[in-house]
Amino acid sequence: MDSHDGFREFVLARQQALMRTAYLLTGDAHLAEDLLQSVLIKVVGQWPKLSRGGNPEAYTRKALVNQYISWRRRPRPELPSADPPEHGASYDGAALDRILLRQALAKLTPKQRAVIVLRFWADLTETQTAEALGCSVGTVKSQAHHALARLRMLAPELAYLLSDSEIEEAAR
Amino acid sequence: MTRLREALDDIAGEAPMVSLPDLADLAVAGHRRRRRVTTALAVVATVVALGAGSATVALTGLGGDHTAAPQRVDTVPDLPEGRVGPLSHAYQTGCKVDERRRPDCSATEWRVVTRTGTTYRVPQALIRNVKERRVPVSISRDGRMLAYYSRQAQAHVVRDLTSGSVVTSPVTVKEERIGTGSMLVVSDDGRYVVFDPREGTKEPGLLIDMRTGKTVSIPGEFEAVSVRGGVAELVRYIKTDLWLMPVTGGGTPVRFDGVFIMFSELAPDGRTVAAFEIQGDDERVLTLLDARTGRTLRRVITRGLPKDGGVLNTALWLSGSEVTLVSQDKGAVRAYAVNVTTGQARQVARYSNKLPGLTLPGAVSSGY
Repeated sequence: MDSHDGFREFVLARQQALMRTAYLLTGDAHLAEDLLQSVLIKVVGQWPKLSRGGNPEAYTRKALVNQYISWRRRPRPELPSADPPEHGASYDGAALDRILLRQALAKLTPKQRAVIVLRFWADLTETQTAEALGCSVGTVKSQAHHALARLRMLAPELAYLLSDSEIEEAAR
Repeated sequence: MTRLREALDDIAGEAPMVSLPDLADLAVAGHRRRRRVTTALAVVATVVALGAGSATVALTGLGGDHTAAPQRVDTVPDLPEGRVGPLSHAYQTGCKVDERRRPDCSATEWRVVTRTGTTYRVPQALIRNVKERRVPVSISRDGRMLAYYSRQAQAHVVRDLTSGSVVTSPVTVKEERIGTGSMLVVSDDGRYVVFDPREGTKEPGLLIDMRTGKTVSIPGEFEAVSVRGGVAELVRYIKTDLWLMPVTGGGTPVRFDGVFIMFSELAPDGRTVAAFEIQGDDERVLTLLDARTGRTLRRVITRGLPKDGGVLNTALWLSGSEVTLVSQDKGAVRAYAVNVTTGQARQVARYSNKLPGLTLPGAVSSGY
């Protein structure tokens, strides 16, 4: 038993969920691993404080987002892990949508992408998203609006994904 | 659940399974190593400043197939003093995993490979700093100069691989300043080094004259592409602006109409640069821009690039009509020469895509 056992338990329980967040943010398996590793080094340094009534999950998520935005300040191409559809190949609709959505997400700004992931995948409230991003609720609203508008523009085929009432409200 | 969430969830489902032997132990080890190094540095602060010098070298190009298996670890010698010959590339070694499946990254190091295929360890080049940030090295366009950061000197060092001379920067830069995505560029003659402590932030960069120790501060939002012929090529990505700044400072940025990334160095005509327009849907369309006026000169549809790959960067001009472009696909990292009139690409070099931190001559090196 050492002082890091609590941290180890936390990582063991949440590592795959955190990896999924990192992957949605970066869109790249290697970058996601790098991102998660570098963030966990920070988390272990804060563990004594976090284990005394902090919220390790929220702290880690916030660190992931901040680190990702910092890394992505310079745009760089994203290599899709799925091959783009070739002419004549047969794909089911969901697979095609996934490819289109990945390509469209890669063209968002880091903050816009983070808002999409936190608000519409992690189901955080606007306040929680603002907390994670270290910005105001107003900024979250405007970033969500711009991100959704850009997704519509980049992938008009995916308009149906963005037509649920909750999404349309955020897009206003 | 919204349909957007379902679609995002499908993508998240493609996330890699956590395959690291023990993610938590890796983090704990990294944290402990950082603390250890910080403590050690507080006790021993050694700064070595040597005299400066420079060398004039001739230009050559990229070339060859460098995908062969690297030498066995136990047979790789240290980079010897004296003449070694120009480099083909540099890379980092990976972490080891012990019998208890605990990762050990303490032995990772920079290695360089010469054009003739010999691999050397470069233990004097810092690979990670006290904050666990990756520290880049840089190779000049012709492969003759290697720039790296020395922990012992707490400064940058330029090693001339053809003459064997080693010049340590008279300007000390504290190791802690090297942040995420720090960048390094070295000029062909090894006289100038541009260090950006943290790419894409407002933290200013530094152009260092290795001979005199004079420095020119570079506004943080600008990133260096190259230093050549007494001019540093700097880009601000958001707008997009290009600034051909004399190494003594001065000059005025030029704004392009559009958002461009992946800038090449200046073409031999001294005014053309190649870049990709970020708003374009097709990353295979290369745009030629006039660095003096900001005008778009031509859009070139590239042909002959692998369909399953992505372009990583543009780089050197091999002639007035061919610019190199670095691309990565599932099989390899490849350098292509692209004819800027016809768009036809021909492969000029190939590297294994399993080399962490792969650094090529003349390409900006980033500590990602």
